[in-house]
Amino acid sequence: MSTRTSPARPEPITGRYYTVDVEGAPRRIYVEEAGQGRPVLCLHTAGADTRQWRHLMNDAEVTRDHRLIAFDMPWHGKSLPPEGFETEEYLLTTEAYIATVLAVVDGLGLERPLLAGCSMGGRIALQLAALHGDKFSGFIAIEASDFQGAWYDIDWFHRPDAHGGEMGAALVSANISPYAPAEERWNTLWMFMQSGPGVFRGDLSFYTRDESLVGRLHQIDTIRTPVHILVGAYDLTCTPEDAKRTARAIPGATVTVMDELGHFPMSEHPEGFRPFFSDALQKMRVPAIERAEEQA
Amino acid sequence: MLPFLTRMQSQLDDSPHLLRLGRLINDTVLMKVDGDEYYLTFDKGHLSEIQPGPSRKTPWRFAITTDRAALEEFWQARPKPAFHDIFGLVTIGRARIDGDILALVKNLRFFKEVLAIPRKEVSA
Repeated sequence: MSTRTSPARPEPITGRYYTVDVEGAPRRIYVEEAGQGRPVLCLHTAGADTRQWRHLMNDAEVTRDHRLIAFDMPWHGKSLPPEGFETEEYLLTTEAYIATVLAVVDGLGLERPLLAGCSMGGRIALQLAALHGDKFSGFIAIEASDFQGAWYDIDWFHRPDAHGGEMGAALVSANISPYAPAEERWNTLWMFMQSGPGVFRGDLSFYTRDESLVGRLHQIDTIRTPVHILVGAYDLTCTPEDAKRTARAIPGATVTVMDELGHFPMSEHPEGFRPFFSDALQKMRVPAIERAEEQA
Repeated sequence: MLPFLTRMQSQLDDSPHLLRLGRLINDTVLMKVDGDEYYLTFDKGHLSEIQPGPSRKTPWRFAITTDRAALEEFWQARPKPAFHDIFGLVTIGRARIDGDILALVKNLRFFKEVLAIPRKEVSA
């Protein structure tokens, strides 16, 4: 008796490697994308990778008229660390982060994409809104704030006598909503467990020590590039208060609190997050400057 | 509080994955709830002894100080924000962690899941 297995079910997401030059040196970057239409560049959180975006990239309603592109930052996921990493202490900086995102935008030939970033990705989205707003057409800053110090010791996550990934996952579980389905809670934590040694710590160095965004928020021109901030009520790291304070400092920015979500909404609870992301895309639909020009 | 802790003790014994996670844990943890002390001694991941205090002679590795109302919310199937995690309780001032916090953090998943054992299931 022969047994037949069901055919493999492909997803619409495709992946490819690109080499882009960042600050004068090559970086091998892993990029995934799905959909067509307006480009949306998606930035993952600290200690994780593009897989956080897979649910939205597999969502036909979202990708019907949006081309979602996500990439693994160097040191993360399938992107390699730079040559000589074996003797380097990885400490992400605002400058290197900005240079990397811009190198990907230019390298992939993206014409004023929307930028959607979560956590440290949301932080850098707001930095880019302040410093390079002309390169983008809008910003969806998720679990994003101006600055808040760490309620933990970032050195916990890179020690020779413990598993940084497992500790990191156990710590960030504090930021996942109890409404998140168990399967996606654990898929979200798995990425942290897999994070390379010292990478989460190096990301958190940027996230918890660089306050430079605070003085730049007023530079963001939401007439030209709208900013919408999304924040989960169960986020202990970027609390609703942090996000609201940040939104108040950006003239014209809007903010929505997501009552049943945490710090990794697109990954921990995709069904719960989808309506908020769709609403954010609607808010980005027509750049405010174009509306103003039409009305003039 | 003791019934919650004894339930924790027996359910831990019935949780092979927690015993695997905690197989190297041989420490005493002090839980202080509304001022009442409970010394929880772990032996190879088993909660081998629950000793009510007060005691000035029992050494402990780290201590979690909180209140019963906070724990009761923590043990809801879907606690309110900040009550859903031990560090959330700390950030809102409803819990404090003293002592060797690294001993907690190195085994954070184990201790978090043990503390959450009395948590109610989400009803369908």
